Amino acid sequence: MKKIVVIALLISASNSFSQYYKTYDWETNPKIQELKSYELQESSVAILKRNIVEYVQSKTTKNIIVLETTHNIIHVSDEKGIQRHNQVYIPMRGETKLRGIKARTIAKDGSITNLDENNIKQVENIDSYGNFQIFAIEGAQIDSDIELLYTTERSYTPFGSELFQTDYFIRRAEMVFITSELFGQIKTYNTDQEFERTYLNNLLVQELVLSNIPPIAEEEYSATDANKIYTAYQCFGNTEVTQDILWSNTIGNLAKDLFPLETNETVFKEVEKNIIKTQDSLSVFEKSAFVDNYIKSNFTVVENRNTQLEEIDYILKNRSSSDFGILKVYGHFLRALDVDYEIVVTANRYTHRFDPEFYNPNALREFLIYLPEIKQYISPTRIDYRISEAPTNILGNYGAFVNKDLEFHFSKITQYDPEYSRIKRVMDINFSEEFDKVTVDESQEYYGHWGVQNRAYMALMTGDNKANFKDYLTGSGIEDKKVIKLELDNTDMNQTVYNLPYIVNSTIESSALIEDAGGSYIFQVGKIIGIQSELYQETKRLNPIEMQYPNRYNYTITVDIPKGYSLEGLESLVIDKKLEVDEKLLCKFQSNYKIEKNKLVISIEEEYKVNEYAIEDYEAFRHVINAASDFNKAAILFSEE
Amino acid sequence: MKKTLFALILICQISWGQHPIDFDNEDYYFLKRSHHLKIELVEQKLKIENEVFEKAKFNNGKMLYLFGSGEYIHFDSFTEIENIDAFTETSSGIIKVDHFETKDQFGGGVFFSDQQSINFVFPAVGKDAVTTLRYKEIIEDPHFLGSFRFGTYVPTKEAVYTIEVPKGVELGYKTFNLDSIDITYEKIENKKNTLYSWKANNIKQFRKSEESLSVLNYLPHIIVHIKNYTVKRKTIPVLNDVSDLYAWYHSLTSQVDETNIAEVHAIADKIVDGLSSNKEKAKVIFNWVQSHINYVAFEDGLGGFIPRGSFSVCTKKYGDCKDMANLLYVMLNHVGVEAYHTWIGTRDRPYSYYEVPTPVVDNHMITAAIIDGTTIFLDATDSYVPFGMPSSFIQGKEALLGISKDEYRIIKVPVQEKEINHTVIKTSVSIKRDTVRATSTRIMKGYDMVDFIFDAKFKKDEKTDAEYLNSKYEIGNNKTTFSNIDLGDLNSLNDSYSIKYDIDIFNYSRTIGSKIFLNLTLEKTLAKDIILSENHPFGKKIDHKFVRDYSTTFVIPEGYQLKSIPENTANELEDYGFSFKYTLKDNKLTVDQQIYMNTLAIKNEQFENYNIFIKSLLKVYKKSIVLEKIQ
Repeated sequence: MKKIVVIALLISASNSFSQYYKTYDWETNPKIQELKSYELQESSVAILKRNIVEYVQSKTTKNIIVLETTHNIIHVSDEKGIQRHNQVYIPMRGETKLRGIKARTIAKDGSITNLDENNIKQVENIDSYGNFQIFAIEGAQIDSDIELLYTTERSYTPFGSELFQTDYFIRRAEMVFITSELFGQIKTYNTDQEFERTYLNNLLVQELVLSNIPPIAEEEYSATDANKIYTAYQCFGNTEVTQDILWSNTIGNLAKDLFPLETNETVFKEVEKNIIKTQDSLSVFEKSAFVDNYIKSNFTVVENRNTQLEEIDYILKNRSSSDFGILKVYGHFLRALDVDYEIVVTANRYTHRFDPEFYNPNALREFLIYLPEIKQYISPTRIDYRISEAPTNILGNYGAFVNKDLEFHFSKITQYDPEYSRIKRVMDINFSEEFDKVTVDESQEYYGHWGVQNRAYMALMTGDNKANFKDYLTGSGIEDKKVIKLELDNTDMNQTVYNLPYIVNSTIESSALIEDAGGSYIFQVGKIIGIQSELYQETKRLNPIEMQYPNRYNYTITVDIPKGYSLEGLESLVIDKKLEVDEKLLCKFQSNYKIEKNKLVISIEEEYKVNEYAIEDYEAFRHVINAASDFNKAAILFSEE
Repeated sequence: MKKTLFALILICQISWGQHPIDFDNEDYYFLKRSHHLKIELVEQKLKIENEVFEKAKFNNGKMLYLFGSGEYIHFDSFTEIENIDAFTETSSGIIKVDHFETKDQFGGGVFFSDQQSINFVFPAVGKDAVTTLRYKEIIEDPHFLGSFRFGTYVPTKEAVYTIEVPKGVELGYKTFNLDSIDITYEKIENKKNTLYSWKANNIKQFRKSEESLSVLNYLPHIIVHIKNYTVKRKTIPVLNDVSDLYAWYHSLTSQVDETNIAEVHAIADKIVDGLSSNKEKAKVIFNWVQSHINYVAFEDGLGGFIPRGSFSVCTKKYGDCKDMANLLYVMLNHVGVEAYHTWIGTRDRPYSYYEVPTPVVDNHMITAAIIDGTTIFLDATDSYVPFGMPSSFIQGKEALLGISKDEYRIIKVPVQEKEINHTVIKTSVSIKRDTVRATSTRIMKGYDMVDFIFDAKFKKDEKTDAEYLNSKYEIGNNKTTFSNIDLGDLNSLNDSYSIKYDIDIFNYSRTIGSKIFLNLTLEKTLAKDIILSENHPFGKKIDHKFVRDYSTTFVIPEGYQLKSIPENTANELEDYGFSFKYTLKDNKLTVDQQIYMNTLAIKNEQFENYNIFIKSLLKVYKKSIVLEKIQ
């Protein structure tokens, strides 16, 4: 998103201090590191990951620079470990300079291979990442230590962050934060450990030491990246800078162009010509939906460095915008239609948990438009979304809500309609006379996020992805499934009716669902609900549960019982699992059946009332999730009477 | 009435002559795509330019999103891009593209590359928009004339390829799959030059598909090359035939910097110390390079064709295919094993050196060694392939062996027979309530072994061993849990590999009344293999031939009798097959099941038969044994 620079806050004059990194070096005679018993299973172990961030002000020019030293010693134990660490990429954003670089490999026999600096290569303008210096580690082999030490110098930015948890085990992580007489603050996240003040080379510094950091656990239903251990820091020449000042200054700067005082003339004409001739009878929802549909059908959000993409006149003429510029377009169109809105500044909840207490530019990566009158959101950069509840990657995070007077407050981003996302499925099942084929007629209604996402999948996916999605819509996991009919309705992404369901009507045939068991027939009825995920837990759950959004499924499955047959094994259809906390139902899976004349009628209700669950409720949550997978195994036996 | 009839006849005639592409139903398509390749002799030197033109029409706004990340014009150090002109026409006028960015290419398995791209975004590609792109490629090296593809990722209404060649330059070309499209060809010879032209209409989309054969087997395209040119009555060869290609390749490999080669020789001597046969020596050297040199890919101009010196590779412990190939070449020859630099294309390049003597044919380098009169192909970029086997992705391909400065040989790499890639799975099964317990050993050879080790090392990620086995083999159902897993020593190189594990499968057998229904096919190889032709537009690719033998034993529990067992059955065809045999001895039932695959490709016309085969297999897979309680 937009680069946020708070240069104005920088008012200071202080003395220049010695640069600590110049005195820092690696061991002259390194020894290979022995692994501890609990580290032997790892492909690689960071014996040390040391990071020194040093803010230094020049005595003469008063310029501040940021020196960042990285010192890693990694023990690699197998090819995977080598491949993980033998290619080094040093980001060189903006005016970053390299102030010395060394790398070496210490082999098991103690021999050392040093990096030949001539082998360092530059690569430029790599997508959104900028420039890099890259090189491959020389001499890396199994059971060697790879050691890397380098310092970069970049021009002053008051903010930064460091990540301390990654995909490999870290025995010891250290961070040293040096601000000398400048005013620095640093905060740790996802750990209880805090920075301590200490002296290094007679220099007062803040230091953090962490031990035995496990690799990040990729768990289902979790915001793994947002749960990584990290630190965020700030450094100013002025002690009067508070978090409140930082937020209001930045948010004010960001939002001031997003509430135009006058609507652009071109926009007025476009509204009249292309959106609506008269707006008198339209609701706020309809007006906002028209605007969202129109902008997403006519403008492209572009990822490049063209600075004009934030200028409203250029955007309107060229129909191209940056992800920030497009907010201005929404501002003009909504104003033209007299729709009241707020801007929500927030972050993706899967990568960054918004912290109102500590200003961090990483928290300002996502922008939504909130419509207070109808409590709905527009996601300007999400082509797959249209006006809806908050999108799934934002729901549950905090955000700053800014109104047209540029006043803001922090609030958790929640769902307004608890019934928003649900699926209704009605299935009728018949068998062929020879009992070798089953036909399933199904009608489905997808509401809320389900509907929005299905429309986007079908419209935007191609090739194998689209084929897989069609498979999902007709019940996945049936090996010989033949789709006889697949009819979709309400498929256009540009809808103007609130929560219009996405409709799927299908007919499939399969022989694989019936097993001939010596004159009787086993019918794998559970398989018709499609593959259900099974949550395993061999190791202790580390992350709390975050589902995409609250949702509910209702199934009615009617099985025609052929004349002359009786049924056995119906008990596998009865399942009742739920999670209640403080007598409040949070989620459940309930299935049951009844026989009505010659029909077996199975009903299923699966519901997740909230999308966040505490880690201590994981076992009960898992049982509810796995109940669907249990039902998927359900089979009934038809025997001739 | 008469009028209606007339109209019908006209439509029929038109539709007979056209491919059924509904252009209006596409999100977008190309109105026209053309290349004009112009070769000139200027001041006795070749000057080569390729003018590229593309005009596309958009039928809806879906591409607004997909085009946001931009169009890329790719080029490398052998090419320059000039005179780019790009714009969008909409109902309200023309919008010119005014911002272009040049970027280095990065990723895609290549550590460092000389590939760059010019990136830009077509604005306003909403409904009815038409985009135009025009630019010129200056081709600096006459070995890289390239090719023209008549089809691309969306349909094309008109595709035109023209080539202008002056007198004195001899052109070679080879067409591929042109008989599948409506195309006209013309060759006009003028006083000063010759003009070749191919014009095609209504070409369907050609999109890569992961599980399909290479799209190049089906995509209509032309590869061109300059055979030679004559200046002042002297004919200068470029790529007349394979010998020219080889001469050029040889001139590049002879530039390898072999400083300190004696130290490499010393390492080789140490590796083979005490060994006498060439086979043993070659094996230990191959294994050494496999396990000591890490694969790091570089594509850097002509440097991308010249291997780095063997001492440098030994010291740095990394290299790409040509570096490893050259290191093997140096070491093997030093210890007395006859070995050659060898160029080869991977299976996704369906070309022959004889048909197209150009660098388009190959993209890989290996070493060929002649041991006891047999040629073996050594590709150390595959860290786990057993000595003597080529890597899977070069099976059946032509290899170009550089014998000496003037001598080369082309030999086909043999496709590895199914018996080489043999897996034996022995399982004993028991039941307790509806939970099945099983103990298995799995002995793998050939590419089955290579795949297992590679996946266990690199695709397992943070999964536990149990999660990994579960996702790889899908044994039982998704309630299967593994225990007592022994994945063996993944760091040792062997010709076969075995693993062991126990499993519990919950809700697997079914007790209904007095009967227990149990399906003894716990692992259903190929069960998901029914081919839907829309998902496999270009045939189905099979990585390697294989045979899998399953032997599953089940002891009838006390108090039960075996009421029925499925019939023995087999469907053994040339390209694939299976057999199931049930044997009851005392109270022990054994199922011997074999599945084999004896082809590397299922072509589109073979889909129907293949699906019939898979359905016959599925029919067997769903058969259970029935046990009944003894009253």
